[in-house]
Amino acid sequence: MGLETAFGPGFITTTLDKVINWGRRWSLYPMPYGTACCAIELMGTLASRYDLARYGAEAIRFSPRQCDLLIVSGTINNKMTPVLKRIYEQMSEPKWVIAMGACASAGGPFDSYAVLQGIDRVLPVDVYIPGCPPRPEALLQAVIKIQEKIDKETVLDRK
Amino acid sequence: MGDVANYMEGLKSQLGDAVGEAKAALDGVPTIEIKPSAIIAALKFLHELPEEGFDLLTDLTAVDWLQYPETGERFELVYLVCSTKANQRIRLKCRISELNPCIESATAVYKGAEWLEREVYDLFGIRFDGHPDLRRIMLWEEFEGHPLRKDFPTRGLHPVERTPES
Repeated sequence: MGLETAFGPGFITTTLDKVINWGRRWSLYPMPYGTACCAIELMGTLASRYDLARYGAEAIRFSPRQCDLLIVSGTINNKMTPVLKRIYEQMSEPKWVIAMGACASAGGPFDSYAVLQGIDRVLPVDVYIPGCPPRPEALLQAVIKIQEKIDKETVLDRK
Repeated sequence: MGDVANYMEGLKSQLGDAVGEAKAALDGVPTIEIKPSAIIAALKFLHELPEEGFDLLTDLTAVDWLQYPETGERFELVYLVCSTKANQRIRLKCRISELNPCIESATAVYKGAEWLEREVYDLFGIRFDGHPDLRRIMLWEEFEGHPLRKDFPTRGLHPVERTPES
């Protein structure tokens, strides 16, 4: 209050965390890792009816280096696990992970020798979405949850 | 079935007892049981027939008859060949033993058998003598076991726990 009057118009006072988190939460760049039917719901979420752009996360990038939100939508089998890990490692910090659907969260119905029983065995997951596949509303809520998580972070958390 | 008689005679005269009778399977494709030692000779004979000339190996796969020991040896190899000239198909089957699951490679006759045999090797553990590059084709190299064998546990030989905590 007081300081702004001293600086004149065009200035506000806030904290660094608030400004940075505000920027991060409204400009998430999702990396779509679509391997199964969940990816169809992901596409539906991005399209005009559900419009992920309302949360600033419409700019899908197919290069992990340009992304900070990994949406794993679909079954991950053991043979693909190293690829997923590598994609995650290539993403720039800070980064978040959504495990979309039953398969990405826990292997889903595929309790088999070939399927990874949940991506949390190899990646740190921030938000899990239940469903097979989840509806677009569920994915929207997951993005909101990620935003809430970003709000609670401070720049000192991530190096 | 009518046309099968044309080459069955030649096949029998060349390979003798190794060749069984041609029977129409449920799908109508003539099916011949052959002894494993004669399978490549039979494929070669069919491949080189002057008129029909079975030039295309449609599929090469295997069946594990583990629960039906009364039907014969455990593994059954199935060769589906097709003649693109005469629009005919024929199916060859042979049984091989569980103790030494090994058979001569069909790559000498059909080059396209290479990846099909790798698949059978990967999933059934049947080895093919004379194959140029017998590696796993679908599963990763370190994988243990052969998943399409009926005694392979669905979760694999080293199953993972469902919950990360345990």
